[in-house]
Amino acid sequence: MLERVRQELGLSDPKIEQYLGYVKGIFVGRDLGSAQGGHCDAPCLGYSYVNNEPVTDTVARVLPVTLSIVIPAAILWLALGIGLGMVSALRRGTWLDRLAIGFSLTGASLQLYFVGGVLLLVFTYQWGIAPVPHYTPFLDNPIEWAGGLVLPWVALAFLFSAIYARLSRAQMLETLSEDFIRTARAKGVPRSQVYGRHALRAAITPLVTIAGLDIGAALGGTVITETTFGLQGLGRTAVDAVRSGDLPTIMATVLVSAFFIVTANLAVDMLYAAIDPRVRLGS
Amino acid sequence: MRPRMTLAALGVLALVTASGGCSQNSGTDGGTDNSAAATGRTQTGVIATDPKDSLGPAPEVAGATGGGTITIIRETKISHLDPQRVYTFAGLMNAPLYSRFLTTWTDDGNGNLTLVGDLATTAGKNVNGDCTVWEYTIKDGLKFEDGQPITSKEIAYGIARSFDPDLTGGPTYLQEWLAGTPQYDTAWDFKSNRTALPPGLTTPDAKTLRFQFAEPHCDLPFAASLPTSAPVPADKDTGVDYDNRPVSSGPYKITENTPGVQLVLERNTNWDATTDPVRHQYPDKFVWTFGPDPDAAANRVIADNGADQSAIAWNGVPSSLVTKVAADPTLKERTLLTPTPSATRLTINTQRVTDLSVRQALNYAIDRDGLVKALGGETVASPTTTLMPPGTLGYRQYDAYPAGPNGNIDKAKELLAGRTPELVLGAADDSSGQEVATQLKANLEKAGFTITVKSIPADSKLDETKKKDNPWDLYVDSWAADWPSGAAILPVLFDGRTIRADGNSNSSFVNSDAVNAEFDRILALDPDQQTSEWAAVDEQIMTELAPAVPLYVDVADNIHGSKAGGLFISGIFGSPAFVNAYVKQ
Repeated sequence: MLERVRQELGLSDPKIEQYLGYVKGIFVGRDLGSAQGGHCDAPCLGYSYVNNEPVTDTVARVLPVTLSIVIPAAILWLALGIGLGMVSALRRGTWLDRLAIGFSLTGASLQLYFVGGVLLLVFTYQWGIAPVPHYTPFLDNPIEWAGGLVLPWVALAFLFSAIYARLSRAQMLETLSEDFIRTARAKGVPRSQVYGRHALRAAITPLVTIAGLDIGAALGGTVITETTFGLQGLGRTAVDAVRSGDLPTIMATVLVSAFFIVTANLAVDMLYAAIDPRVRLGS
Repeated sequence: MRPRMTLAALGVLALVTASGGCSQNSGTDGGTDNSAAATGRTQTGVIATDPKDSLGPAPEVAGATGGGTITIIRETKISHLDPQRVYTFAGLMNAPLYSRFLTTWTDDGNGNLTLVGDLATTAGKNVNGDCTVWEYTIKDGLKFEDGQPITSKEIAYGIARSFDPDLTGGPTYLQEWLAGTPQYDTAWDFKSNRTALPPGLTTPDAKTLRFQFAEPHCDLPFAASLPTSAPVPADKDTGVDYDNRPVSSGPYKITENTPGVQLVLERNTNWDATTDPVRHQYPDKFVWTFGPDPDAAANRVIADNGADQSAIAWNGVPSSLVTKVAADPTLKERTLLTPTPSATRLTINTQRVTDLSVRQALNYAIDRDGLVKALGGETVASPTTTLMPPGTLGYRQYDAYPAGPNGNIDKAKELLAGRTPELVLGAADDSSGQEVATQLKANLEKAGFTITVKSIPADSKLDETKKKDNPWDLYVDSWAADWPSGAAILPVLFDGRTIRADGNSNSSFVNSDAVNAEFDRILALDPDQQTSEWAAVDEQIMTELAPAVPLYVDVADNIHGSKAGGLFISGIFGSPAFVNAYVKQ
């Protein structure tokens, strides 16, 4: 049987042949053995003996879970983190600043499995006010979708926003001491425009870089989040695949993760140009 | 036909029964002793003596009401749903909901088991009395979920497709016995014979299924209770994809299957309760929810909110919550705490430890209570002194080396007579393997042994210790038989004629002509006559050969919600059973 699986997976073929066959499958599909369900349509990522289904089906099923966790959580953590950082910088030395620093220090010191566990224990198991985390497709029921994912969002937002609060505070403080800010103030530009338009835009560039990398990595699989909250996303699928030696699924999850990281980096580079006119080509 | 043949041909004779009669599903709510693991539970069992025992409907469960949803929370998905591929505990407990088999067990949750006909009218007819030809008559009124009738053809087709090498994972008893070789998939090619049947399997008519073996196989009625014998309609067989949506012959049908996320089973309206001696159809739905780790699952069930009130945590109560559950009477009431048939022993490599007195000294020295405590206490393991676990039919409690729960160091030293044998203990390099090894080393060294613990990678430990030339004197082994008969335990583990270079289940490498002859003698008996004989040979092996130190059986410790009723731990597989489950209204 083992030999048969080896043959069907083509493990005895030359490496280059295996690689080309795999890549070809992604673009035009390929024929797999009968134990792998026969023909595999493009984009074919192989067949999982563990899940008994084409890996493309697995990825198509778990990817929306990860996207549903990461994208709303990223919006939350960016809004919360940058907002807190700005307030902290603008109210430097006040109780508000200290509160924000305390919040960010707390968030930066904690781990997701701890925060997630506490949130579950208090809000779900003890008080019963938050539903057991679960995934419902957004289009099926948006309220159920949000309700089932609110705890992972809060946990991720709390931890990630802490880092962004500290970073944005430091960047804002540095930017606020720049000459162009003083000039803008001297010219009588309203305070909201000075901070919101000039200072924030200059301070946000490094934050975009980090946000791009964080979101890209998170889309590649929020392993601990998914495990803590019992959600079957891309990260957890990857870990399960490693545990069970499910090679085709391991390859697919790595490929998808790499795709997100590369795409996120590309998006960050393009955003630079949009945010900062100094890096635009030909300007 | 000799009297013995006649009796066997009817598939009758009680195996062993404490009550002196055929036990039936009592329909109680589990009946387990919640104060502690019911370690004294002595399993009794019979092959149904009366065809009426194989008739339905199953006795009503006291207090059971219809409706609601039973949720089963499990960390990982069930490996297979295709009945011919089912072989994990979760799969084996799930399969009876949507599949029926040739034979099955009625189980009252208190250790009383009866092998009855499920699709068949009896547990099997031993035609010639020599266990080479078995015949089954199929019941009337059986239907698949789409209303198509179930005949012997569909059952035979199900068995035939299990020869397909693509359909891996399931038990292989029927295939190997029919083909007469472990390489059954090369002996008969299913793919090129889809409309034929494997050698030895025939369907003389729509109501009759016949097995003819080259060698006697008296355990067929037991093997036929595994999902390999589930019927499959040939025109609905989708090969490997059948695993995603098998056609139901049981009280529930699969209506949603999202691998790794959720499996939903809803009532099958074409299931006829009057044909089924075991299953009920109380809840509207069974929902398997996959994902939460054991802590999260148990916490959800402990919290007892909403839908979790009728849920059960499949993976058991984790050690972090054992104290909390034990200290709270309301939680304790909601636990199923029962020893399982999975037995663990300290195997002695008799090729290396050749002195019987040393092996006996090991048996005297063992501190089972200390070991159980080290493992986590009575909710994890229950000490045992026999090779067959207490759940085995005809089990008889004995202690060949009575030394008390903590061992008898003085007696061990007396046997060693001043010697200090140096023994190498091979232990898996995972946490539980190391934990057990540390405990055993400390325990045995008190008696004068010098124990050197050598770690073996956990994922290869089983393969390595099964090699004949392995370099260890001692190692911890577990065995859980597919059916509670000594035939599935003792010859497998202690028949020296099966020893080969590797892959040995007889990992103590004991080879005694006297014991082997006993195996042959007992295996030639009708299954009903074998039972009490196995208990005797169990004691003979321990007394004359001492090839192992029996340690403990695993204990199942599962918690369920306040509205889940009818759940119990299966006497066959030691996992939660759902055939009596209902939602309290």
